[in-house]
Amino acid sequence: MSFFELLRCELRAIFTNPAILLTVFGGVVFYSFLYPLPYANQIPREQRIVVANLDENQLSRRLERMVDATPQVHIAARTYSLEEAQRIFFEQRMAGLLVIPEHFYRDLLLGRQPTLSYGGDASYFLIYGTVLQGLAAAGETLAAQVKIKKMIGSGQALALAKQQYTAMHLNLRSVFNPTGGYVNYVIPAVFILILHQTLIIAAGILGGGQNEKNAEGAPGYWRDAAPLQLLVARSSIFVLVYWLLCMYYFGFSFSFYNIARHAGFAELNLVILPFLLGAAFLGICLGLILPRRELATLLVLLSSMPLVFTSGFIWPPEAIPALLRDLAQFIPVVPATKMFLGLNQMGGEFSSLQTHWYQMWLCVLLYGLLAWLLLHVQRRRCAVKPPEGKESGQKEVVERAR
Amino acid sequence: MSFSQLLRREVTDLYRDPWLLSLASWVPPLLFTVMYWLFSQGIATDLPIGIVDLDKSGMSRSLARHYNAAPSLTVSNDYISIERGTRALRAGEIYALVVLPEGLEEETVRRWAPQATVFVNSQFLLIEKIVSSALRQAHGTFVTRAEVVNNLATKIPVIDVALSSALPIGSQITPLFNMNKNYAQFLVSAILPAIWQILIIASTTLSMALAQRRYGIGLWLGHSPWSSLAVKMGVLTLIFLLHGVFFLTLMYVWLGWPMRGSWPLLFAAQALTAGVSVGVGCLFFLLTRDAARCLSLAAAYVAPAFAFMGVTFPVSDMTLPARIWRSFIPVCHYIEIQFPQVNYGVAASSALPQLGHLSLFVLPLLFAFILADRQSLRRGGQMPGERTHELF
Repeated sequence: MSFFELLRCELRAIFTNPAILLTVFGGVVFYSFLYPLPYANQIPREQRIVVANLDENQLSRRLERMVDATPQVHIAARTYSLEEAQRIFFEQRMAGLLVIPEHFYRDLLLGRQPTLSYGGDASYFLIYGTVLQGLAAAGETLAAQVKIKKMIGSGQALALAKQQYTAMHLNLRSVFNPTGGYVNYVIPAVFILILHQTLIIAAGILGGGQNEKNAEGAPGYWRDAAPLQLLVARSSIFVLVYWLLCMYYFGFSFSFYNIARHAGFAELNLVILPFLLGAAFLGICLGLILPRRELATLLVLLSSMPLVFTSGFIWPPEAIPALLRDLAQFIPVVPATKMFLGLNQMGGEFSSLQTHWYQMWLCVLLYGLLAWLLLHVQRRRCAVKPPEGKESGQKEVVERAR
Repeated sequence: MSFSQLLRREVTDLYRDPWLLSLASWVPPLLFTVMYWLFSQGIATDLPIGIVDLDKSGMSRSLARHYNAAPSLTVSNDYISIERGTRALRAGEIYALVVLPEGLEEETVRRWAPQATVFVNSQFLLIEKIVSSALRQAHGTFVTRAEVVNNLATKIPVIDVALSSALPIGSQITPLFNMNKNYAQFLVSAILPAIWQILIIASTTLSMALAQRRYGIGLWLGHSPWSSLAVKMGVLTLIFLLHGVFFLTLMYVWLGWPMRGSWPLLFAAQALTAGVSVGVGCLFFLLTRDAARCLSLAAAYVAPAFAFMGVTFPVSDMTLPARIWRSFIPVCHYIEIQFPQVNYGVAASSALPQLGHLSLFVLPLLFAFILADRQSLRRGGQMPGERTHELF
């Protein structure tokens, strides 16, 4: 069989297989709209909190107004006792609680350092962070105002007081995702994972389906194809199809969702190549090992959540147990996520990310060699066993008929 | 076939497919444990940050040491120029870059209020929140200390007044329901139900696929399609209820995370969730009649469930289409029972609306039964041994 005949057979096998088409085109396009859906509003805003104002004077009310004015929180209830605030917090599922203590104003004037208490529902963590950010910002602003007033009171000029209310300013700047948007945070990494996982499923379904045929002793073009040719044909078809899908994700989808695209075209393609090759080879390996088509989908489906959390964009890799972190390094998507995010989202230089790139090529080499070996094994087994396979296939038919 | 025969067939079939048997036995506990293990550190510590010290004074060094002393941070590198530092930040080697300007010490002493600039990588939102709050806290205490010393030295000899003049308003921050801000407790308690649902639907598919492979769906349903399907659903629900109980026990008994609600209610919610998830899985299979296509469909349905659960991003801020989609996912309703029960210990009656939503999944269940009825031998469904799908 010539290489081009093989290529044609592979193309027909892939493009007439509904499960593969459903996964590759259906899945990738469906996910590109479904995954960003929950995060479409980008930032949680106006989380509802309850204020217990035990002081009741103009300064504490001003603090209330300042808290309410922050974009992060919204005062949904005001009370004048702690018990009432607690009750409302529980009953109405508030995200936070602010307690302005008794004699807040008097203590402030007397220099007794009154204490504001902030409470947030930390069972929802990112919401907790948002609420606290809003409350603390309002509290800090009030403290700065008080300090400036005191300085003016002791004879300082307003301009100087505004500058010098603290010994040293802290200018905290968020870079790469300055608005802290969730789409920008989750989607780039998840899209890379989707490409990786669906590619492996597709290659796995193809291989698993052929294994089913092998077990039945049915003939198939893959049984007498040269391993290297089959590997090249199969991987290049998948890589080409997925290259187009990569263009769709990194081009159309990213611009549709206003996600940063800092990577140069050439650099991006330079990373796409080992990424897709590695994933395709891994999928081919799985396809050769797994006896049935649906098992590849099963393995990929079960591995998705662990991979999301080991790829290091949610939970810092420094905090992941060493064994899990090291194991994850063998999956092409893990270095690829670091590389793509570094290049495309954080505008990193290719040279400073090179280690991830080499790691991706090592994955390509590892799975490529493994796939090639497995193809040899398959060919040898198929050459030895056809009659026996036929027999067992018949047996199964008989059994099924029973 | 009688009920006991159906039950026996279901249980013996479970043993025929090693993949199905693994999914029903050791795989769920293993996955749950691995997910917990991943987050077992609970609190992120020693996240690397970089410093560009252009001042090289006693104060700038002590400030750098102060940042390093914060439990969440570690100063992993000193960069000689801002360019070097930004390159490392862009490459993801450090999560934040602190730039201490020239003349920091001198300006502080002269009360000119210099400014330390920090660039925090906000691409990783959760990490950014940890890093910036640690930096803000470390900076705050450092500056307050410097001011107190200054106040004591110049005008105010009383330490209390010197302190309140440096920091007029104190603050006390209480993370409620998760006192030590344990990330494992927050994330794992949502991840496990999400994985649990994936496992349920995957196992259901495999179990249906086995029935098709071994008997052919028509013959398997035979003349008693309703009871055949019901027995399969019952067995799978029971197995996964046990796994559900396992992960709850893992979190709230062995790990000792606080659990303030009612156990029986949680178990009931789990039984209902498992049951309807099994039902949805059966429906998918009867619609596609092919394991690979069914699993692809199931993947599209359950794999993104975690994002829709409203644990990382509040449901109230989701758009309407997102809220509609999440209402079709059983585990999204389940988590709205688990979280309030576990964290706030609310009255059992407050879980009624969610239990009601879950009961609405009876509709797809019914649809699955109707499909089963039509595909069974009773209605002249496919004949034994007939291939239901083409591989290529």
